[in-house]
Amino acid sequence: MTLSASERARYQRHLTLAEIGAAGQEKLKAARVLVVGAGGLGSPAALYLAAAGCGTVGLVDCDRVELSNLQRQVLFGSSDIARSKAEAGRERLASLNPEIRVVAHALELKAANVRAVFRDYDLVLDGTDRLATRYLVNDACVILGLPLVSAAIHRFEGQVMTYVPGRGPCYRCVFPQAPDGVVPNCAQAGVLGVLPGVLGTLQATEAIKLITAVGEPLLGRLLTYDALEMRFHEFSVARRPDCAVCGNAPTITEPRDPAPLPTVAGTVRRITAGALNELLREARAPAPHLVDVREVHEFSAGHLEGSVNIPLGELPRRLAEIALHEAPVFICRSGGRSFAACELALRAGIPAPANLEGGLLAWAAAIDPTLRVA
Amino acid sequence: MSCTVRIASPLRSYTAGAATLAAGGSTLAEVLANLEQRCPGIRFRMIDEQNRIRPHMRLFVNTSEARELSATVRHGDTVHVICALSGG
Repeated sequence: MTLSASERARYQRHLTLAEIGAAGQEKLKAARVLVVGAGGLGSPAALYLAAAGCGTVGLVDCDRVELSNLQRQVLFGSSDIARSKAEAGRERLASLNPEIRVVAHALELKAANVRAVFRDYDLVLDGTDRLATRYLVNDACVILGLPLVSAAIHRFEGQVMTYVPGRGPCYRCVFPQAPDGVVPNCAQAGVLGVLPGVLGTLQATEAIKLITAVGEPLLGRLLTYDALEMRFHEFSVARRPDCAVCGNAPTITEPRDPAPLPTVAGTVRRITAGALNELLREARAPAPHLVDVREVHEFSAGHLEGSVNIPLGELPRRLAEIALHEAPVFICRSGGRSFAACELALRAGIPAPANLEGGLLAWAAAIDPTLRVA
Repeated sequence: MSCTVRIASPLRSYTAGAATLAAGGSTLAEVLANLEQRCPGIRFRMIDEQNRIRPHMRLFVNTSEARELSATVRHGDTVHVICALSGG
């Protein structure tokens, strides 16, 4: 795959590098890289892959651009708000480098479609914000024999590792299973905007190295980054012979969606902000026990009067604190973590837990606009 | 015997935000027990009821992974608590 005159001019700084040169640039031109998640990580990764001349860049994302994304998702501008991320990202990358082909996959990656999406690519970058998708991507890469550069972030911290079939551990070797329950995402936990910029560019660096076969990839090495302390740490991680997907006797041989949570006795009651407000104002009835399962800093920023704070992660060992109260109402920012809390409570035998539908965002919208929801 | 424990970001709500803490102990089990005394609840986030390291947590002594709580910790070592992160 030869380079045109305009490509030789565009990639001149690469051509000057003996390690890349024309041969490496031609490999980049032939490469087909899929970026899963056009978010904080996917934005810089896709921009640098496009700028570097990766011949085909695919973007998978089913979400639309929101104003709160722009603090870190540098693939988008203010005029992209409400647009499909995959489509807006495709336009931005094509504008950055019209020499390459950019493919928008505006869909949610599932076991049912992962093979069809992945089959047109040689390398995958994972920058999703959902653990279930992270495991699906890993498993699909192992099963389909595709290299994977995986990264993840939380507040001020990030981690990245590279998987190449047959040459080291996969993501599931390092973290065999996702945690039970709901893990806070960037919306809930917060994230330093520039943090995914660091991790996403590391992913792009790894991809370019793998494509051009230069340098030493992060195989069997988990690299972590702490932005507050400005420290990188590197840890040796080994392939697990008992890994469920890349081990000697794999039990996962087809990409699969996560198993549904075990069914529990009883059902989670749903209560709207309006109904809860009426319940709280009703003088005759005993006030419902309000349990706010957000993190401490979110609770400190603003909460409902009379609510107690038990972060979701602490709830399993603190269930006794609420066991005496019948029909507790669980509360979080938007209703996701509180639903998980309701299920935990049901499994523990606490009767009739209720979930505040839409969380405190719904409360602020319907009842009290002065409530600060972190 | 004292070591430094580096706490994964999602667990720092137990350490008042501290990224590192000093802890005593000559095995990982002792270090985590010491940590638990000062940060109640933190051990349960790493270790399950069967005393196994939870599958989304990894513990390293310096740069080497410790898969058993009996792993030796020496004076001056750093125990790293690493957690599968979900954000993207």
